[in-house]
Amino acid sequence: MRSLKTFLFEWKHFVGSPFKILAVLLFIIASMYGLHNGADLYHKQNAEIERINEEVETKKATILSYFKNNEKGPSEHPWVDITTPFWAIYNTPTYHFKNPSPTLVYNIGQTEQYGFYKLITTSSSGYDADMTKEIANPERIQSGTLDFSFVILFLLPLLLLVLLYNIKGQESEHGFLPLIFVQTGSKNWWLLSRTAFYTVLLLIVIFGLMVYGAMLTKVFVADTMFWNLLLWVTLYLFFWITLYFLILKYGKNTVSNTLQMVGVWLLFAFIIPATVQQWIAIEKPTNLMVDLIDVSRDKKSEINAQPIAVIDAQLFQLYPALKETKVAKDTIIVQKVRGYSSEALINLEIKKATQSIEADNRIKNELISKTYWYNPITYFQNKLNQLTHTDYKDYEAFRNNIRKSVDTRIKMMVFDTWNDITIDKEKYLEYNSTLPNNAYY
Amino acid sequence: MFQIIKNEWRFLVRSRIFLGITIAFSAIMLLSIFLGNYQIKKQEQTYQNAKDHVRQQWVSIDEMNPHSAAHYGTYVFKPSNLLSSLDEGVNNVTGNVLRVEGHVQNEIIHSEASQMQAVSRFGKLKPSLLLQYIVPLLLIFLAFNSVSNEKQSGRLKLLVLQGAKPIQLIFAKTLSVWLYGILLLTFIMTAYALFNSQNLSTDIVIRTGLFFSTYSLYYFIICGLTVFFSARWQNATVALTSMLGIWIIWTMFIPNILMSSAEKWYALPSRNEFQSAMTEDRSKGLDGHNPTDKRSIELKEKVLKEYGVDSVSQLPINFDGMRMQADEDYGNSVWDKHFGNNRAILKQQKQSFQLGGIVNPFISLQNTSMGFMASDNLHHQAFLLQVENYRRVFIKMLNDKQIFGGSKTGNWSWKEDNAFFKSVPDFEYKPTQISEVLSNYMLDILLMILWSILVIILIVYGTKKIKII
Repeated sequence: MRSLKTFLFEWKHFVGSPFKILAVLLFIIASMYGLHNGADLYHKQNAEIERINEEVETKKATILSYFKNNEKGPSEHPWVDITTPFWAIYNTPTYHFKNPSPTLVYNIGQTEQYGFYKLITTSSSGYDADMTKEIANPERIQSGTLDFSFVILFLLPLLLLVLLYNIKGQESEHGFLPLIFVQTGSKNWWLLSRTAFYTVLLLIVIFGLMVYGAMLTKVFVADTMFWNLLLWVTLYLFFWITLYFLILKYGKNTVSNTLQMVGVWLLFAFIIPATVQQWIAIEKPTNLMVDLIDVSRDKKSEINAQPIAVIDAQLFQLYPALKETKVAKDTIIVQKVRGYSSEALINLEIKKATQSIEADNRIKNELISKTYWYNPITYFQNKLNQLTHTDYKDYEAFRNNIRKSVDTRIKMMVFDTWNDITIDKEKYLEYNSTLPNNAYY
Repeated sequence: MFQIIKNEWRFLVRSRIFLGITIAFSAIMLLSIFLGNYQIKKQEQTYQNAKDHVRQQWVSIDEMNPHSAAHYGTYVFKPSNLLSSLDEGVNNVTGNVLRVEGHVQNEIIHSEASQMQAVSRFGKLKPSLLLQYIVPLLLIFLAFNSVSNEKQSGRLKLLVLQGAKPIQLIFAKTLSVWLYGILLLTFIMTAYALFNSQNLSTDIVIRTGLFFSTYSLYYFIICGLTVFFSARWQNATVALTSMLGIWIIWTMFIPNILMSSAEKWYALPSRNEFQSAMTEDRSKGLDGHNPTDKRSIELKEKVLKEYGVDSVSQLPINFDGMRMQADEDYGNSVWDKHFGNNRAILKQQKQSFQLGGIVNPFISLQNTSMGFMASDNLHHQAFLLQVENYRRVFIKMLNDKQIFGGSKTGNWSWKEDNAFFKSVPDFEYKPTQISEVLSNYMLDILLMILWSILVIILIVYGTKKIKII
């Protein structure tokens, strides 16, 4: 009962402190601004995807018009022949999208480090130039967008600090702490009740803000993500409450408590993550993608310079069923067929090179994960990234998805070429339905 | 005043907590410089290996058609910079690899940040991180009760009775805390100079001098404001919380909000829009690979007329190469237009952000810190421009060889030998000199000076109203 009274009395403390009210208001304003930033990016990416889909439809219509008019391609490019599998597939516009999750409203995460759409060709890879981030001001990306997760991860502990810093210390400085202990019975329950008030207050504020965010995008459509996010944000809040509670419990006065709280915040928000990042950069310096460069130039030339028999043998090893095709059984060797088919062998080398890059990156990620037990902000940050599909791993999966699509495309092109298939309108439409634009969350 | 400063320092040095914090903090700063330098040197090694590897591939070309070589192209890697061991700026988020080839100006790709999960929202442990975020907090903690303590203990009254003027006292308190900041700054700069004594150049010395000056100005603003609040408010806690509030707003809120807003006010095109617009403009020009293109035919007629011959086979030069260079020249005007437009937008964004220094000196500090350490977007853009200029010279050299090297039009099997490819110079990055870019930071410096003057005015006029007891 006494604890409940203390809890309710804290409301009077709170409304009597303009500084604390201002801090909460600033927190709400920053959160709303952050939520709108996330929502803006969500809508911007969706609009871009829609625009690209429209472009794709226009391109398809142009190609279909060639079939209708019995043309082989654009008159200014006389070498194009869309009745051949290579050019027909080349002109089958396929994009892969990393569709933004509606939960982007809460957390932009690593979204701005990567591209979110990719034109698939037979020579594409997940590390092509168009997979790089959208055109943006690097100084803004470096300082980070003020999104809701930034507010939660970095400003929430500061808000808590502002709300809690003078609890116990103020009473101690005025000399009526013993009186309070006599009146309330237990100093721990008194302290707990007061901190519990601010915990509840912040939980209500955060829940309200998250509901507001949910109105900006279709968050509730994305299954239970809202509640998962709320759970993790609550856990994060409790993490800081516990730390600050311990400081208050063992602290002597307001100034020393404030200093300790700021110190802990600086340690977790700045010093530890920054040291970890520095250490990882030393352990594993930035990959300059030399392996990939080698494949795109020397390896490619090497493959194309091989004798036809060697290329054939390699292709048969890659696709055993290719031996059964019309061209393979034919004694007349068509040079061009092998020219286009070598894309499959180059793709194989690209995959090997990207696998080694991904393995390198995986080592970095493992190193980061190992620091989680003493690097809580990075842990929560990556947890939020994971929940909102804005994590490195989501983009890795997006790249894998692209790789699979390229594999399918090449295989189709090689087999149809070796089966000497002539492409007509129906076959072109079949290509479009087999190689559609693909969305990945 | 000197006596008061001396006294203040005597008090500070006597405090074990102060000494402990100073020793611990100096150790972290030393560590940040050591790790920063080590990391840059390691990255430099990776860069050099990649650069040598790509160059080796180029000079090993036995024989190749010059235009095929233009497609084969080369790669430029963004070099590391020892100055960025003090402030990394945008280097973590910009790409590092740029493909140099014919027909197209590529974008730089493969940033460090994209190669792993998120770690630190504020970058690596560089001295700038400590100097921008943590040292000001330390100064606030040292200064927040400097006057209020004197008031509460009654020493202020005693000092005034002994003849000390409140204004002198406040300035002395400000300067004594400020000197502590300067001491930390000097420690960092000295350690940096010792670690890099063999690489110091005039440009680096000037840059670090400017770096030092802007941080000194910022620390003066922080110390002055804190001591002012300490004098104005009766309670030290109010002074502390006020300054903490200002610190949060200055470092956490305003820079993020303003930068995001500047990007909305002056919007950059999306990548797809940007590429489509360039493709559209490019299609209006000459297509180097298409002899039947209308503009190619026009160019052919013009060249034939110039040489007074009837067909390209009679030309003493290779018209294919000429068409390729005409294609490049047109392409260059398209790249200049579109990439130039992006650069202009980025400049507008930067200028708007710089104006934020009117309300927030931290913005000016961040801008100058990155700028003087050659790691801001301005220096990044200067690097990209250098690469593009190199690309144009590189491709022209190859096209000129195709035109005047002795081959005939249509002879695509004609190849140049290894000696020619060896003679093509490699890209050499020329670091941007501070004199070339200093004017871009004058607004930031001016705003920080104005802020310092404002703080002095606040102290001079504000302290007239302070209560001695």
